[in-house]
Parts: sequence; C-alpha cells; structure tokens
Amino acid sequence: MIQETKIGLARLGKIDPENINDAIALGAYDGLKIALSLNPDEILVRYESSGLRGRGGAGFPTGLKQKFTSQSCAECQKYVVCNADEGEPGTFKDRTIMQNDPHLLIEGMLIAAYTIGASKGFIYIRGEYNLSIHRIRKAIADASSNGFLGSNILGSDFSFELELRLGAGSYLCGEELTLLESLEGKRGYPRIKPPFPAEKGLWGNPTLINNVETFVQLPAILINGLDWYTALGTSESKGTKIFTISGRVNRPGFYEVEMGTTLRQLIEVLAGGMKDGYSFAGALLGGAAGTFVDASLLDTPMAYETLKAIGATMGSGAIIVLDNTTDKIDFLQNILEFFKHESCGKCVPCRIGTTLLSEMASQLKTNPEILQKMIDEASYMARTSLCPLGQSPVLPLKSFERYFATAITNV
Amino acid sequence: MTKLVHIEIDGLSVEAPEGANLLQVARNNGIDIPGLCYHRKLTPTGACRLCVVKIDGQQGLSMSCSLTVKDGMKVISFDEEIEENRRRTLDYLLAEHNEESDNTFSDEMAVLVNRYGLDKKENRRFGSLLQNLNAPIDSSSPVLTYDASKCIKCFRCIKACAEVQGKNILSFADRGISKYIVAGYGVWRESECDGCGECIQLCPTGAIVEKQHRNTIQLDKIEKKVITTCPYCGVGCQLELLIQDGKIVRSNGVEGVLPNDGRLCVKGRFGYEYAESKSRLTTPLIRKNGEFVESSWDEALELIANKFNEIKLRDGKNALAGYSSAKCSNEDNYLFQKFIRLAFENNNVDYCTRLCHASTVTAMLKAMGDGAGSNSIQDFETTDCLFVIGNNIIETHPVTATYIKRGHNRGQKIIVVDPRWTPLVKYADIWLQPKLGTDVALLNGLMHIIIREGWIDKNFIEERIERGFEAFDELKAVTDGYSPEETEKITSVPQDKLFEAARIYANAPTAMIATGMGMSQQTVGTNNVFSLLNMCFITGQIGRERCGINPPRGQNNVQGATDVGASPINYPGYIPVINDENRRRMSALWNVEYEKLDPKPGLTTIEIMQAIHHGSVKALYIMGENPVVTDPNQNHTIEALENIEFLVVQDVFPTETSKYAHVVLPASSLFEKDGTVANSDRRVLRLRKAVEMPGQAREDWKIILDIAEKMGVNIGSYANAEDIFTEIAQATLIFGGIDYSRIDHEGIQWPCPDKNHPGTATLFLDKFNTPTGRAKLHPVEYINQKERASEKYPFIMNSGRILNQFHSATLSRKNEALNVYGNESYVLIHPDDAAKLSIKDGLRVVVESVRGQLETAARVVDEVAPGELFMPWHFSESPVNALTRDELDPMSKIAPFKYSAVNIRVK
Ligand SMILES: Cc1cc2nc3c(=O)[nH]c(=O)nc-3n(C[C@H](O)[C@H](O)[C@H](O)COP(=O)(O)O)c2cc1C
Ligand code: SF4
Ligand code: SF4
Ligand code: SF4
Ligand code: FES
Repeated sequence: MIQETKIGLARLGKIDPENINDAIALGAYDGLKIALSLNPDEILVRYESSGLRGRGGAGFPTGLKQKFTSQSCAECQKYVVCNADEGEPGTFKDRTIMQNDPHLLIEGMLIAAYTIGASKGFIYIRGEYNLSIHRIRKAIADASSNGFLGSNILGSDFSFELELRLGAGSYLCGEELTLLESLEGKRGYPRIKPPFPAEKGLWGNPTLINNVETFVQLPAILINGLDWYTALGTSESKGTKIFTISGRVNRPGFYEVEMGTTLRQLIEVLAGGMKDGYSFAGALLGGAAGTFVDASLLDTPMAYETLKAIGATMGSGAIIVLDNTTDKIDFLQNILEFFKHESCGKCVPCRIGTTLLSEMASQLKTNPEILQKMIDEASYMARTSLCPLGQSPVLPLKSFERYFATAITNV
Repeated sequence: MTKLVHIEIDGLSVEAPEGANLLQVARNNGIDIPGLCYHRKLTPTGACRLCVVKIDGQQGLSMSCSLTVKDGMKVISFDEEIEENRRRTLDYLLAEHNEESDNTFSDEMAVLVNRYGLDKKENRRFGSLLQNLNAPIDSSSPVLTYDASKCIKCFRCIKACAEVQGKNILSFADRGISKYIVAGYGVWRESECDGCGECIQLCPTGAIVEKQHRNTIQLDKIEKKVITTCPYCGVGCQLELLIQDGKIVRSNGVEGVLPNDGRLCVKGRFGYEYAESKSRLTTPLIRKNGEFVESSWDEALELIANKFNEIKLRDGKNALAGYSSAKCSNEDNYLFQKFIRLAFENNNVDYCTRLCHASTVTAMLKAMGDGAGSNSIQDFETTDCLFVIGNNIIETHPVTATYIKRGHNRGQKIIVVDPRWTPLVKYADIWLQPKLGTDVALLNGLMHIIIREGWIDKNFIEERIERGFEAFDELKAVTDGYSPEETEKITSVPQDKLFEAARIYANAPTAMIATGMGMSQQTVGTNNVFSLLNMCFITGQIGRERCGINPPRGQNNVQGATDVGASPINYPGYIPVINDENRRRMSALWNVEYEKLDPKPGLTTIEIMQAIHHGSVKALYIMGENPVVTDPNQNHTIEALENIEFLVVQDVFPTETSKYAHVVLPASSLFEKDGTVANSDRRVLRLRKAVEMPGQAREDWKIILDIAEKMGVNIGSYANAEDIFTEIAQATLIFGGIDYSRIDHEGIQWPCPDKNHPGTATLFLDKFNTPTGRAKLHPVEYINQKERASEKYPFIMNSGRILNQFHSATLSRKNEALNVYGNESYVLIHPDDAAKLSIKDGLRVVVESVRGQLETAARVVDEVAPGELFMPWHFSESPVNALTRDELDPMSKIAPFKYSAVNIRVK
C-alpha cells in the first residue's frame, strides 16, 4: 500500500505554523546548526551527491547550481532568491509548505546561503497568497528575534538578511530571469540568457534561485544523511515530490511521495480514484507548460527519467485529471488562451504566435487538420522564442495530438 | 588593448575584439544578418528574433545579437533553415503591422519584407490581425507622433531614451500583442519628454516620427544630406541635415562620430527653422533720419569705411572697437581680430566669453597655462567621480549630460554643488546647496577636511606643483581658517555633507570637475576657480586620463573664437600681444610692419561699453552679438549705445542691439557657410554650407574683407573659408596640424601641432603649460560680496539658462518647436518667501534692483533657497540684465550676473 513520505510537509498539522517554538521543538533549524558546523565546500559536495533536482519545473541539479553560484565571483555580493510565485495552473504545493511550515523554508534558504556565501536573500511570493505572506512575515520576524536571521547567526560568522517581496500577478514573473527583473523594480520582461543567474543575477551579482520545494529538501539531507536521502526515489530522481491533484477525483489535494510513485498510485490510491460516474480520460502533467497523458500511461513512475522516456514532463508536479465529460478541445483552447494572455509580448514568435494559436484553436472543431499547422507554428515558436513561455505551447499541443487526436475527428 | 579573437562566419575567417557583439561583428564584415531590435548603441534586446544563426557545438538556433564572440567560434548565419525561420518571423510581424508609408521615414522593416519576398501578398501565411488590436496613436507631443499600428515593439525607442539619453521616460503599456509605447504615465505631452528625438532617430519603422515638416518631406526628393555642427551650444554635436527644395527639412544626429555619436538635444534636432525665418535680415540697412532704410552693399560699406577712417583720423585709433562672436566660425573670428588689429590698429576686440568664462580661463591660464577643458566629452561617462559646480549641465549641455547619466548608471559618483536645485540633483550622490556667492569658503572648507584627513596626493604635490610642499603649506595656512564649523556658518552647508563630498572627490580613483557660470559670473569669479583648481591639484585629480577640470562652453564657438585670437590680450593660439617676439611673429605672418601691431592690450567687452559711455570709444563694430540683452546693467548699455557716434551691427536677425545701429548688415547663419568651430573639448569641427543665404545676406568673413578693402586696408585675400583656415593653422600653433581634409569625417582635438599628430584627448598628462611645466597654487580667502541684501533689496537674484532656449534667444525663439517647451520668462521664489509676500504661483510680479526693474511671472518652488531668486535670462521682454551690475572681477573683468540684490513685489 502506497504511503506518503514527508520531508517538505513533515511538520504539517503537528505544529502551530505561527509559533516558532513549536517548530523548534520538532527540529526546525537543526539542519542549520549542522550546516554551521561544516565547511561550505563540504556541504556543496553533499548536495551534489544527493541527486536533488529543482522542483520549480526544469529539474536542474540543485547542487550544481549551488556550486556555480558559489564559485562564480569571489568578491561579489551574492544573493539567494526563493521563487514562490507559483503561477503554474493547478499547482499549490509551495503555498501548502509556506502556510504550514514557514520556518522550514527559511532554514532551507539559510543553509543554501551559508553554502554559497550569500548574505542577503529574497522570497518573491505570489501576491494573492495572503495567508502565506502573513505567515512568512511572522516567521521572518520570529527567526530574527531568535537569532536565526541577522548578523552572526547562532554565534557564527555567518550573517543573512531575508526580505519578502510580493509579485504582481503575472505568470511570466515566475520565470527566473523575469523574476529577477521584477525584484529589481523593473517591468517583468525576460532577460537574455546567458548569462545565467549563477553568474549575473540580481543587480548583476551571482544569485542562487530555487523553488520553495527545492529549498525545503535541504535541511533533511544534512540531518538524516546522504544514505538516507539517496535511498529515497529512483536512480535519477531522489527524495520526495509534492504532487497537486485536481479534477474529478475523490480526494483532490496535495500528496508528498517518494519520487517514482506511479500516476496510478497517486490517482487511484492517494486521491481515492475517480468520483462516481466519472472515468479517467487522461491528465495534464506539470501545468499549462506541461504534457498530456492518457490511461495507457497510468503505470508510469513519476520520475524525471521515466517521464522523459515517454515524452512527458514532471513540471511543477501539477496533475490535472480529465474525465469522460471533459471537452478536450475546450481544454486545449483554454491552455492556449492562457499563453496568449500571459505572453509578455517581448519577442515576435511568442507575441504573435500565441495569438495565432488561439485563433486557430477556435477553428479546431470545424477544421481538425489545423492541429498539424498549430504544431508546426508552435515548433517554430519553440525554436525561436526568447524565453520558455513561448517555447512551451508545443508541449501540450504535441502530446494532445499523440493521445487525443481522435477527440477532434470525433467532433 | 582588448584581445583579438578569430571566428568563422559562413566559412569566412573574421577577426574581432574579444567580447564584441556577434551581430555587429558580422555586419562590420559585410555579412548582412537581418535584425530590427538590435542597434549598435543599445544593449541587446533579443526581441525581433530575426538575427538567428547556428553556432557550431550548440543545439538549435541562437540570436547573434545576444552573443559575444569567442575565439574559435564557428557560425552559420545563412542556410535554408535559418532563412526560413527569418521569413516566418517577418511574416508573423506583418500580421500585426501597418505597412503604410508616407515616404517621410526610412523603414528598415519594409526593406526586409522585400528582401524576403513578403511584399508579395501570396507569400504571406496569415491575414492581418490589426483590426482587432485597437492600436492607439499619441500625437500629444509638440514634436512627435507615435502610431502603435506601425510599432514592431522592438524596444529601441525605450532604450534610446533610457540608455542613450538617460531619461527613462518610455515604456510599454499592456501585455502581449496589444502592448504599445507610452511616455510617462500615458500622455506624451504630460511626460518628462523634452523633445530630444533620440527615439525618432532610432525607431526602425517610422512608428515614431517628428511633426516638423511632416507634410513636406518626401524622401525621394531629398537633394542632398549635409553634415555640419549644431549652431547652438558648445557640445558641438554633429548634425546630418536633409535638404529638399533648398530647405532644411530634417536634422539627425550623425551616428558613430564624436562628440555626440548620434545624440542630439531638442535644439539641435528641431531648432533649424530660424534659418528660413521671415524676419531674417536680407539687405543692408542704413539709419537715415532715425529710420532704417534699405541700401545697397556698396553704399553701406562705403559709409562704414568712411566713418571708421574719419573717427580714427579725428579721435585716434583707440576710439574704435569691435565685438567678435561666439556664434561665428573660426574663420570669421580670425579675420575679425585680424581686421581690428590691422584696420583699427589696436587690440580692442573681445566677445561674450568675457561674460561667461573669462574668469575661468584667467584662473586656468595662470595656474596651468591652458584655459580649455582638460578632458574629452566621453570622459564624462567613464570617470569615477564627477564634481559639478555652478553648472546646470543637463539643461545647458544636454548631450554632455547624456554621458554623465550613463556614467551614473554604471556607478559613477556625482557631487552637485549649486545654490539652486538642478535636474542633475536627481542623479547625484550628494548635493551641496551653499548660499549664493560663498564658493571660496565652501571650497576652502572642503580642502580643510581633505588636508586634515590626509586625503592629499603627496606625490602630485611634490612632483607637479610649483614649489611643492612650500606652496602647499601656504595654501594650508589659508584653509586652516575654514574649519567645518566655520564653513557651515558661511555657506550653510551641513558639516556631514561637506565631509562626504570631500571624501568622495578626494578618494575617487579618477575624478573630473565640471565648472559653470555659477562659479565664473561673480566679482570673485577668478578666485572661485583658483580655489577649485587648488582642490583639484592637492588631491592630484588632474594630469591623468579621466581626471581634470572642464568649463563646458555655452555657445558653439566660444572655445574657437578665443583660440583664433578674438581677444584683447592674445593673438591666435594664446600668445600675448604684449610680447615683442609674438608681435614680430604675427607681423611676419601678416606681412605688415611690426610697428603697426599695437603692443598695448585692448579693452574687454564691458570696458568697451564703459569707454563708450565715457566717450573715449566712438565707433563699435559688432559681429553677431547682442550686448543689450547679454551685458550687465542694461540701462547703462542702452545709454552708451544711444550716444555712440557710429555703431555697425552685423547679424542674421534684427536684435535688441541693432535698434541702436547706424548701419545693419545682413549676415549668414551657420547653416549657410563653410568653416570650422572648436567645441568644449577642443575639438575642431567642420561647418558646411547646407542652404543658400536669404536675399543679399553675405558670409561674415566676406563682409569683414569688404569693409577692410573699402577702408583701404589689406587684411589678405581668400577665395574661401578653407584658405582662411590654412592661415589660422599657420598662426595658431595648437591648430598647426589640422586641415579640412583631416577633419572631414571627425574633428580633431587641439593641441595638434603637426600633420602626424592625432590630437590631444587629455591635457596635462606629462606637464602643465606653464613656464615651469608645473601647476601653480593660488591660495585665496573668502571675501564678502560688496553688494548685499538690504532692507530695500532683501533678495539675491541668480540667473541662468534653460534647455529649450539659447543665449539671448535671437535664434532659438524663431523656432516653434523650441518655443512650445517654454517661451515665457519667470522668476523662481521659495514658498516661504512667497507666502510672506502673498505671491502666488503664476502671479505677475515686479523685480527691481537699484539699477533697473522688470516684470515677470512668479513660480513658487523650493528649487531655490529662501532669500534667493532665480530667473532665466533669455527673454528680452523681462531682461534680467536690467538688474545686474557692471562691477567687474578685477582679474578677468567678468561681471556678476549671478548676484544682484533685488526686491520682488506683486505687480
Ligand atoms: C513562464 C514560466 C513560469 C515559471 N513559474 C515558476 C514558478 O511560479 N515557480 C517556480 O519555482 N519556478 C517557475 N518557473 C521556473 C523558474 O524559471 C526556475 O526554473 C526555477 O525557479 C528554478 O528553481 P529550481 O531549480 O529550484 O527548480 C517558471 C518558468 C517559466 C518559463
Ligand atoms: S517567449 Fe513570450 S513570454 Fe517569453 S519573452 Fe517572448 S514574448 Fe515574452
Ligand atoms: S516605436 Fe519604433 S522604436 Fe519604439 S518599439 Fe515601436 S518600432 Fe520599436
Ligand atoms: S544644443 Fe548643444 S547639446 Fe543640443 S544638439 Fe546642439 S550642440 Fe548638441
Ligand atoms: S536583432 Fe537579434 S533579436 Fe532582434
């Protein structure tokens, strides 16, 4: 019987999230204490060997990113930034973490900062997340008065300041370089890559930017050790992952499980299967910038390498379940409308392409052949767009064609 | 030197500096990769996606504008797939684009559309989305129109405004396909846009176009393009004028050429209309029975020659004098001074430099042996620290200021010293606001701190200052008396700010000073600059690159006019007239007897006016100057001119001064003649004739020759301006290596002693130009002003310039586009003072001094300190110089335009 394995949500429900003593009693900041007793290079090696990969969508090895940032420029001011913008449709894992255990995020960021030599950090949080904002604010204040933030943390040489900044409701501002622009007070347009944030991030300085869920994996790795951590998950996907399941299942919500748990286990066991009268008709994995799967793939383990093998993505961990009543074309059109609406318009292929795609989608029901043309345009957009937003529509489109082509011809 | 790397583009091996932009490198090598959002002057944007290439070893496509070259890089910039992607991108763009053209702008997009065969509608894959887009038009700006339907959202205008001009006014409103450009909060006219037009110049599609000549310009009817120097301020921006039907119809900045690299301010871009103004002088005028009557050139010249000769014979040669002009070319000025020295046989030649930087030049000549700015205009961007004192540089030298704003963006420290708020304060790290007239105390106070804290440069003092530490100790003895407490008492600048400013300036790795008329136009002007130089010397912030002192020049040829000898004390090239050897040298060159050259220094500008008043000067020849507006104590000036026996005014317009003339001569504007000028960074720049003179107007140098000839004096014969320049180069050692062909493309900075010399970007690198080769300290004490605020005149009046008008406004007010940005006089008064006097914003007020009065409108703002007032002096209907006095700085003979005790009251 599949069970949840909790790292990010370990203290969920066991503490009053607004009471730091509760959290401390259950081990909060223990990881920080271990970190401060170690040499940053030693910690770097541990995170590199942990196999932890970013939970924000792209799955980049976290230890490597830390190493790049740490080694980027010795004299420079360095920053740690937490991406808590959580704009991917169907995703609410970061909110769950921040609402229930804000100190875990702060601890994760502290360890990362110590590891790379940063003295200043920002949490860029989605503006609508009122409860999370309130709790993070309180947690920062409490952590400061308890000596976990500020100068000479816990009597060490290490100092770290943390600030909370609110996002302005644009999906694109979750993209890391756009987020940095926004943090600098500029309009949310993506920057040219390279340079990457590790080299030139906030105000041109080396910046480590990770997702909330990535940071909260860090303390446990130090506390419980590498052997424990690398035993969790699959060969190339270590640790746990929070999936957020929506659609007509019996228990929609968030589930933190070991990497490699199958889609079937998540939907049929943890989420309690489909509601009465509905049958599973497929799912969109990873949000709008994600991929469709159908019932034939229910036994795929949710791990980077196995998903990749079937051309699917983990993305943010969103699982939107489609059922027998879902109008798949409407569903697709919604996704394309979303891209059109969220395109910043900076680059030509995406600005105009997303508009053209949404126009074409409205013809899908009468003119199924246009799907091919849409894929062709989206592929061109993927080749030439400036940032991942314009490169994304091809993902849902191609997988839609692969699994749901019959949906169009049957209209 | 940057390292060179080798790369390969489409099999062609190319050499380029490491870190150079790949797209630029390709284009420089004739590989025409398309791209609409990239511009040489801007940071790469990566928006249009047309510049795609493939890089060996990298997956997929890359944008060449977003890459820098690395050694060994292999690039494919043209193949079937790449070209197909480009065609597709253009095809996309066409779907949102309005292709109409009225043939008034060059359209980079249309060129590409043709190149990719998309001008044929059948090659396009999508219909137009335009009708659904609701693209707005903003025509609220006085000078330009924005049409979103033609906009390809390339960011060039935004970056032109932010990165090139440092103004940051433009941005996009909305998202995605419906976004469009807005200025400020949405309406162009209400934004901070000051009309420099950089966005127009860099817009690739004509989405932003100028209004001026909108209905006239037809690009296929442009008969020529003429590159010349802007006729306004001393930055010396290079303009490209488009000529259609014999008229100027557009002015653009010349890209890639110094000093401006394409940038302009509103005056350079839109201020050319005066040339064809209806009120130009077109024929000689002679006053007969109190009325001006049109006359022939012959009659006018005859009369002038006879009168000059008659007065010279009757009252002696010292009864004659001339005003040369900073608005005329080097050639005009050179001939003018030659005329005065040979035809009037005295040295009574001066011009308005006496009224702006005479004190600066006097102090600099004494302390360093050169009176010109030590650095290049581009150094304003790269120096680590800029100390701007008494200089509203954003308004008075707008293009120099663009370099400063760029410097600011890269972390340059900026210290502003000004009694009044100026726009540069927005960019400054620190603003010191001393009371008017307390500069020496302030600077001595700064030096006090610098010395106390040990921030002096001992090596520099020992090796490059005359008498080294001995001289330093004398200075210290003076500055010892200016403790921070004492300095705060005199200047009212808080001590912590004094400390901060001293610390930043003295400790910056490199630092430059920009000094302005706030320092120079005082009865202690020379002392002010001495004090500034003392500070510069003891900190060693001169004599290295990106270090030094610069007095940016107000008019386009203030620098050149003195360089070529329009001076009562110096021949061309700053050689004193009192020196015998110099007289011999000049007499040989001019082929006249040595005795003919007067060894006695001549009268300066205001001394000439005073001499007219006393009756010792009886005839005055004015070329392109307007002393009634520009000289201090206007009533005194008018009295003098009303009583002068014979006044000749040669100008392009009737002026406040020409009213008093006996003969008025129609001259040429700078758009109508060949020649050269020297700008604020000593760069000798070409003027080129772009349009014909109106009516019977003549080139100034020709008029001078004509008068000389009629007087029976030979001052040489010249077929054209270039002939005169050849002689200037012989006479003026610092110009020795310059000729027209060498400065055809880009000007050369003097000194340039010989043909192989590249010119001099920074002065004093090896030595100073004094006899000892070392700089001289001149310790000075603060002295209280003679003129003081009193019960009757309780305010101190300051004066200055504004961006969109120029000098006495003879030229600038003839341009609609400039006038819309402000064509009315005003006086700034602090809200506290205004409240006490019940003066409300906009109310008409009378301002009076013991010398005169004027009427203007009040502007109640805290940009001035309580007890102080400020007025722009361009507006002759509210002449600030009715209030000022002609008490002179003893050393330089400059007048205190910045300090008059006045009263202000509601009218
Ligand atoms: C359009 C767009 C939106 C994104 N939104 C988010 C987001 O809301 N939260 C997030 O953590 N990452 C988001 N990302 C991914 C980030 O760019 C980045 O990869 C991530 O913050 C890196 O952190 P990680 O290494 O911990 O995953 C987004 C990316 C794109 C292209
Ligand atoms: S791909 Fe889309 S969202 Fe990204 S820069 Fe281009 S227009 Fe903006
Ligand atoms: S107005 Fe011109 S320069 Fe500005 S974004 Fe549009 S096309 Fe580009
Ligand atoms: S007025 Fe001065 S800054 Fe403006 S364009 Fe002319 S030379 Fe340049
Ligand atoms: S020129 Fe490179 S993207 Fe526009």
